[in-house]
Amino acid sequence: MKRFENKSTTLLSSAEMKTFKGQFVYWLFFAVLVAVAVVSVFPAIWTLFTAFKETEEIYGAFTFLPKNMSPSNLWRRIAESWMQLQLGRSFIETLILSLGNWVFAVVVNGLAGFVLSKIKPKGSRLVFVLIVWTMMMPGQIRMVPNYMAMLNFPFASQKSVMPGVSLLDTFWPMWLSQGVSAFNVILFKNAFDGLSQSYVEAAQIDGCSNIGIFFKIMFPLAMPTIIFVSIGALSGAWADFFGPLLYFDNLETTPLKIYRLKSDSSVHMNNQFMAYIFACIPQLIIYLIFQKRIVGGVNIGGVKG
Amino acid sequence: MSSQEYNTVKLKKRTGGKVRIGKEIRAWALLIPSVVLFFLLVWRPTVLGTVWSFFKMDAYTPREFCGFDNYIRVLTHTQFLPTLWNTVQYVLWSLVLGYLPPVIIAVMINEMVHFNNGFRSVIYLPAIIPGIAAMLIWYYIYYPDQTGLLNMLLMKMGMEPYMWLNDPKFAIVGIIIYSTWKGFPGTMILYLAALQSVSSELYEAALLDGAGIWKRAWNVTRPQIEGVMLLNFVNQIIGVFQIMEQPLAMTGGGPNGASVSLSYQLYQYGFNSGGKGTGQAMALGVIIFAILLVMTIFYFRLNKRVESRY
Repeated sequence: MKRFENKSTTLLSSAEMKTFKGQFVYWLFFAVLVAVAVVSVFPAIWTLFTAFKETEEIYGAFTFLPKNMSPSNLWRRIAESWMQLQLGRSFIETLILSLGNWVFAVVVNGLAGFVLSKIKPKGSRLVFVLIVWTMMMPGQIRMVPNYMAMLNFPFASQKSVMPGVSLLDTFWPMWLSQGVSAFNVILFKNAFDGLSQSYVEAAQIDGCSNIGIFFKIMFPLAMPTIIFVSIGALSGAWADFFGPLLYFDNLETTPLKIYRLKSDSSVHMNNQFMAYIFACIPQLIIYLIFQKRIVGGVNIGGVKG
Repeated sequence: MSSQEYNTVKLKKRTGGKVRIGKEIRAWALLIPSVVLFFLLVWRPTVLGTVWSFFKMDAYTPREFCGFDNYIRVLTHTQFLPTLWNTVQYVLWSLVLGYLPPVIIAVMINEMVHFNNGFRSVIYLPAIIPGIAAMLIWYYIYYPDQTGLLNMLLMKMGMEPYMWLNDPKFAIVGIIIYSTWKGFPGTMILYLAALQSVSSELYEAALLDGAGIWKRAWNVTRPQIEGVMLLNFVNQIIGVFQIMEQPLAMTGGGPNGASVSLSYQLYQYGFNSGGKGTGQAMALGVIIFAILLVMTIFYFRLNKRVESRY
């Protein structure tokens, strides 16, 4: 087989692929991977089938496949579920959340990374050390105090001199939390560290302001990192359910909505599963667009940082 | 002298100190949003959480200093030791079930000349599904009657349905099986990146020396990914020790507290105790922090050493 001849030498070499042993090991690997792939997608396939079943089928027939799989019936199930689930509002609210997350993640973390890497005013080294330190700390210790801070922002306790504002049931707690991603700050700092200082010096001599240097010169040069951070911030909003669980009440993002559906007995299993599918769509779109970046972006985001 | 310092000296000579101070201020202006947020959301709450863990709390208002009261209440609670043991069990099971599969699968995918990209995309699917949707899908997979996938299959094969997550002995294992399924693609990608940076000359040299497949795997592949493996090992222990969302969404800590983890207990103290447990929540936070501190310092030491090797 031609493919084997061109195989680059990894654990198995192309010469070995001509031997029985090499072939055996290769196809054994192949078989295992097929099994892993099946296990990976099986729950998703079951979700699809369950979502397209009628309510009576779920609680009576106990089959794997839905009975009626004609396109018109599938379409009817989608429409029916959408009507019952009322996900429209939660989709819009999640979208708003994700856009705010994105702005905070890219601008606040990016600016911090830029200043820490390229301008380094006096005392910024201490800030960086503190940021790295806090990355080590488990978040649990901050869970209740943070909630208290959001309850009476920006003071942490209600005994404070001035009354604060409650940020509960607004997007702000989540947006602000995006601004304190130590991981993103370090990613940005690493990215800017890789760029020559002379870009900054040249722009400064031309009288460009720091913010101008950041947006006009540094940003385009750090695109891979920006895209990587953007993917995380945008898709995070569609996946995070604990933050909204703590801070939202009337506001409802899709992850929170589907969590609440679980205890809503009027929504049957098929409609719940349809909700899971709807909730996956934005993430799936992000993945399809950025597939190469996600799989290839590991060198930026993975081991380093 | 770094170019930065050189630059400032040059400017200083040219324009004097005033400009320099203005420059510092303008630089700090861009850093301030970040510093303020870190102060409000990370540094201050870390300190306050520790301080208030010694205070009697009235819902979300600290009242008076009460010494180690909160700690004593947390530590002497009859459920504390079982919860700690549950958390350790989560970690142990995650290492047993979830540690090696990403490495092995990455090595295998790296060998593929057929559907290499296809395998990657398909196997990555669990990582794309939003966590809460995936947790609830698995909640239904484990559902104790025939509507659940596993019991439906069992009944088809003529066996009795099993209680899965309702079995105290299985709840933790069940959650870890889910977490492994959900988390392995992300880890696998890390290993794939490490494997792709292994030079093929090393393998060729080993081949010339007549090393067999397993010898090459052990002597060429292993040393190259050992660093990432070690990091993931510590990372996984730290991560799983803080497990919270899975018991929250999948079992509610049940049956009978069999799947309550320390973090989930903290959440219960902090937000589901009618305001009576806030002090205990912060004390438990400090306890978790202390347990993890050692691991985390170790992790960062390791991270530095591993990074310097690449």
